[in-house]
Amino acid sequence: MLSIKNLSKHFGSLKALDGVSLEVEGDSIVGLIGPNGSGKTTLFNVVSGFYEKDSGEIYFNGERIDGLSPNKIARKGLCRTFQVSKAPEKLTVLENMLLAAKNQVGEGPFSALFRRQRVNKTEKANLIRAMELLEMLQLSGLRNDYAGDLSGGQKKLLSLGRIFMLEPDMILLDEPTAGVNPTLRVQLMEAIKQLQKLEKKAFFIIEHSMKVISSICDKVYVLNFGQKIAKGTPEEIQKNEQVLEAYLGGV
Amino acid sequence: MTIVNFIIYLLTMMGIYSLLAMSLNFQVGITGLINFGQVAFFCIGSYTSALLVVKAGAPIFVGFLGAMTLSGIMGYVMSIPTKSLKTDYWAIATLASGEIIRLIALNEDWLTDGPFGVMDIPQILKGVISKDAYPIFYLLFVVACILVAYFILNLLTQSPFGRNLKAIRDEEELCLSLGKDIQNLKLKAMVVAGVVAGLAGALFTFYIAYISPENFRPIETFLMWAMIIVGGRGNHLGAIVGAVVIQLFNVSTRFMANYVPLSTESMGSLRMFIIGLLIILFLLYRPEGLIKEKKKLYE
Repeated sequence: MLSIKNLSKHFGSLKALDGVSLEVEGDSIVGLIGPNGSGKTTLFNVVSGFYEKDSGEIYFNGERIDGLSPNKIARKGLCRTFQVSKAPEKLTVLENMLLAAKNQVGEGPFSALFRRQRVNKTEKANLIRAMELLEMLQLSGLRNDYAGDLSGGQKKLLSLGRIFMLEPDMILLDEPTAGVNPTLRVQLMEAIKQLQKLEKKAFFIIEHSMKVISSICDKVYVLNFGQKIAKGTPEEIQKNEQVLEAYLGGV
Repeated sequence: MTIVNFIIYLLTMMGIYSLLAMSLNFQVGITGLINFGQVAFFCIGSYTSALLVVKAGAPIFVGFLGAMTLSGIMGYVMSIPTKSLKTDYWAIATLASGEIIRLIALNEDWLTDGPFGVMDIPQILKGVISKDAYPIFYLLFVVACILVAYFILNLLTQSPFGRNLKAIRDEEELCLSLGKDIQNLKLKAMVVAGVVAGLAGALFTFYIAYISPENFRPIETFLMWAMIIVGGRGNHLGAIVGAVVIQLFNVSTRFMANYVPLSTESMGSLRMFIIGLLIILFLLYRPEGLIKEKKKLYE
């Protein structure tokens, strides 16, 4: 589904990504790990169109997407969350959810003014879906709070909620559970698993917690200094010597 | 001028500036587009309506439609550089665009009669309504325009379109990641704002019946900014309240010149001083303005 070939990205003399190739199949959960500064977030930024690549190719659903603008890539069904959650300050939690909804009428001034009934109808349907998701994310009590007033962990949850509203084919999650309390973290993982099974969504997840990775990922890629150093199941990765060396600095 | 007529004049000018402030608020307060060239819309709206009616001999309602259309197109043109310019750089570009439009009005004599301005502009239903009732009639007409603009802008702000604009204001990158075409949305916001300000321009033209480039100096943009800073951004009522407060200072100090022992020049400086002071005090002690942005609540 997502296929990255020989991708490179330099910042000055720093090789943030150095010829990375990897595949994420549809209907799977793939992890991406690596020490700080290994290029994980840069990879996400390039794939989602926020950074321009220097060389290499990116294909999504067989279509080449490198060079497209971020909003076009998102429209193609490849969506992302951010490591530091972004939440429009003066929109409420519920408005944040509705903002992301895939099927909306009234996003332009003409339809907003002249197709009132259809606008109201779709808004109502999206509202129901949004409330269900907020219930699951334990945010329903905060639905009328400004997103800007949420804690860091709550913003993480909200960004997950938004992405579920968007219903993309593949979701890139950048540290989705950082700052989220352990109980909720387990529930989140369950939700991701369920979504993958029921709606056949693919996930590509940056995570530091090995616990999270081994509980949900089918496959894991490991980056270090912008290069792919390993690929395998979570069990294999945990035994891989190169990986251990990268993380522990040579034992 | 009798006191009653003066009050009606004051209210009418408050009304016209309310529309300009609402338009500016739609850009700044809702969409986050820092426009320092708002007077460009006002100028285009005024001149278009005046020239259409005086030079082309069109009926007055065509003057109104033309003003709104051309001003809307100006909104489209001004939105183009947002593609490549960041917020602050775009703001500087808009400052220039306001001056460019005024300088065109000042120098293209063949079209605008340059510094002499456009004179003998006919007034709406002048023959039908008696001279005494005319000021109040025009005031009511301006109020009706405000109500319509308020209703439409409010509807837009409450709609998914308005939600998109507010999201762009607060987190542009997030909007991109959600697949929003922010360039297109900014364009539409600018066109909507342009149409509203164009309406204000036409109302101004047919009210004072004589316009010249002097009416559209950069200071006008500054006044409109003072209105949304004092009134509050992100809601249209704030823009109206701000226009009322600022115009009260702006116009009434002119009137007061007869009653206080100060020369006209020092009254002019004092006026600007007071408005400047108001801006500073509000930014320091009540940055959200008199009327706060309203939260949209769901049960």
